[in-house]
Amino acid sequence: MGVTRRQLLWAGTGIGAAGLLAACSGGDDDGAGASDGQAEKPRPGGTLRVGALGHTSAVTRDPHGTQANESDYLILALVFDTLTVPGAESSTAPRLAASWKSSADLRTWKFTLAEGAAFHDGTPVTPKDVVWSLKRLRGTPSGAARLPGVQAENISAEGADTVVLVSDYANAEFPLMTRFASFVMKEGTKDSEIAKAPGTGPFKLDWFRGGNARLVRNEKWHGGPVHLEAVEVTMFDTPQAMTNALLAGQIDLASNAGAVAARTAKAREDIQVLRRPDDMAMPIVMRTAKGSPFADRRVREAIRLVVDREAMVRQVLSGYGKVANDILGTGDPDFAEDIPQRGRDLAKARRLLAEADFDLSRTYELTTTEDIPGLADSATLFARQAREAGIKVEVVKQESGAFWEKTWKSGDFYTSYWGTNDSVVFYASKTMVSEAGQNEAGWDDPGFDSAYREAIGGTDPKQRAAALRDLQQIEHDRSGYLLWGMADGIDLAASKVRNLPELPGYGRVQLEGVWLR
Amino acid sequence: MSPIAKTGPVADPSAGAATAPRRAGRLALRLALTVGYRLVMLTVLLALVFAAVELLPGDAAGAASERGESAAGIAERRQLLGLDRPLWERFGEWMTALPTGDLGTSARGQRVTELLVDPLPNTLVLAVSAFVLTLLLSLLLGCWTAARPGRLADRLVSHASTAAFAVPEFVVAALLLLLLSLWTGWLPAVTVTGGDGRPASWTMLIMPVLALVVPQTGWNTRVVRGALADRAADPHVEAAHFDGLPVSRILLRHQLPGAAPAIATGIATSTGLLFGGAVVVETLFNYPGVGAVLAGAVAARDTPLIAGVVICAGGVISLVLLAADLVRHVTLGGRA
Repeated sequence: MGVTRRQLLWAGTGIGAAGLLAACSGGDDDGAGASDGQAEKPRPGGTLRVGALGHTSAVTRDPHGTQANESDYLILALVFDTLTVPGAESSTAPRLAASWKSSADLRTWKFTLAEGAAFHDGTPVTPKDVVWSLKRLRGTPSGAARLPGVQAENISAEGADTVVLVSDYANAEFPLMTRFASFVMKEGTKDSEIAKAPGTGPFKLDWFRGGNARLVRNEKWHGGPVHLEAVEVTMFDTPQAMTNALLAGQIDLASNAGAVAARTAKAREDIQVLRRPDDMAMPIVMRTAKGSPFADRRVREAIRLVVDREAMVRQVLSGYGKVANDILGTGDPDFAEDIPQRGRDLAKARRLLAEADFDLSRTYELTTTEDIPGLADSATLFARQAREAGIKVEVVKQESGAFWEKTWKSGDFYTSYWGTNDSVVFYASKTMVSEAGQNEAGWDDPGFDSAYREAIGGTDPKQRAAALRDLQQIEHDRSGYLLWGMADGIDLAASKVRNLPELPGYGRVQLEGVWLR
Repeated sequence: MSPIAKTGPVADPSAGAATAPRRAGRLALRLALTVGYRLVMLTVLLALVFAAVELLPGDAAGAASERGESAAGIAERRQLLGLDRPLWERFGEWMTALPTGDLGTSARGQRVTELLVDPLPNTLVLAVSAFVLTLLLSLLLGCWTAARPGRLADRLVSHASTAAFAVPEFVVAALLLLLLSLWTGWLPAVTVTGGDGRPASWTMLIMPVLALVVPQTGWNTRVVRGALADRAADPHVEAAHFDGLPVSRILLRHQLPGAAPAIATGIATSTGLLFGGAVVVETLFNYPGVGAVLAGAVAARDTPLIAGVVICAGGVISLVLLAADLVRHVTLGGRA
């Protein structure tokens, strides 16, 4: 059952995700998310019925637990506030923290809390609540992955409205990691009381049962007026059942329904198909370390020249996506659009392979899983395209559990996937710098490492920007990744729903601006 | 010293008064043995479940962790879940807590009883409705056709029931969905659950029940029809025909009692298939039952949760099989 792993991914993208719509969106916050983008005046009231994916077996009520269910995360994100959220103009937008600033050495970060922020029972939020919540988050088994480089003792309160976090190292992108998991509860909330713990978010919990919930408007939300009277969340095991519910008018919004659902619904005029670009990356990973057939960078470049990117997007993603350029973090506002797009060049690929003495008589195994829709298809189609260049690739489908245990991070040639795509630095720090904990390709490139360190730790913003550009160029030239395209996130909605979320990844849960016509 | 023990050796075995208690005693003993046997089977089944989950690749700590969580983080999680202890110890602990109604804690820290308290009754409503409807329909169709052997109705029902049994639940479900909901809009396409943990409207039960009933009725109609045909050759049934008794009376009074054991066994077998089918049907219609819980729990290697579903479903199926045993015993009496 790959679904779980996929959802794990949603949860696992924890730090630094979602972001800016690369080409298509102007971050138009007032316009309808729908076809007619005129600035309509929001109409208050009404109940939005949302469908979201999840399994009863994986239900988690703890805001600091690992949320495998999209439905659980959606509910938590509406009831509780994180310090920051993904934004359109910049990757990080204010939420419970109204603003933040760093010390000159980029290690000490001060977050100022929003004025008037209060829990649903009326108690004002204090920095102590935030400190307690962040320390609690840090203390969970995944705490080190969610707040990397921050020790619990380095989280403290200052004055009436400020929280201070000190990083173990200089990090210009520090606020990125406060976007998804930093849910704030009242200081001292007991584990047994979590199900009923008041949040500070735009909606209050009316009831929760078996993964389904009803939320009602928080009239006094610090973030401004909330239009919807209530939100009803129904959990769905499969996108098919969720789409049927939408087609039959039982729900108004099917969150993250996928490309198949979009094709089904395309003919229906009363249904909006909303595409959130840069939602999902499905790169092919080539191991760069010694002993791998792809250790020679010329081989890796040849493999990148072999793929027919347009065909991949058309067939694997049903056209719901766009071509990519082997640089991860495509939604980053600082994405290097000026690096020329790599295309298909079989002649050059053959030449490079010959130069590198690549063994064309051998058959190479490409390991994949069925964790997310399209992943195994991408491997199969790539194998066919590679054969046209004389490279024999055999696709091996692995059961999800076996893949993550045996192949991931150690295989020579496999497919991976990531749901956080609005930050180049996120990938660099997590999967590419030589000491990264999730260095999927076993990459160790001194040039890349030094560009990365300059990009996150440099004091001069101009130099940082230049380093970020270098970093992307090096990644494009010689990393262990082949990123052929980016899948859109797809939501389906009834035509009456307005101002729906437009951001990829976890951005899909931002329903506080939605209203019904 | 019980009075029975006292009178036992005194009473003459041939005396009629002693046979009734003895028969009751035999029935009780048989009942006790069967219950004991079922309990042993359930325990073995649970042991197998624990062992099987252990053999699957990966474990609950890995499945519940974040991607990229450090080895130390996963080890901590493993310890929190008690996965660092030997299998038999975990099994023993779970089994000893079972009689108190404690089914343990899921890999994500929720009480298993809490996770099952709504789904189990929902599945029972679904399965029992399907069971009753299957029983009624197959008896009705079976008897109706047995009364007209070889006639057109008999042949039609025979073919239709074979076809119905050959079609898997998910195909039936998809057809129902298109026909009764997406094209016509008569019924809700999926189940939406209310704040009480139950389907928001009873109409949401219709399609899931039908999807289970159609294939099972196909199977059981064949069983009923076959069992009645076997009994039709019995001398007393033939004699009744020669005596000129009405066909319906012969069917109900003379054939059906004799066919009951075979029918009971057939329908009891359906219980297991109904639960199995519920896993598929619940997922297709988003029905909030244990089938969906089970599917997710297996993927998450969540042993306490899987075992919780197994003990609940297994308990219900065991009860039905027990009832079938009793029917067989009572109808066959001393001939068994």
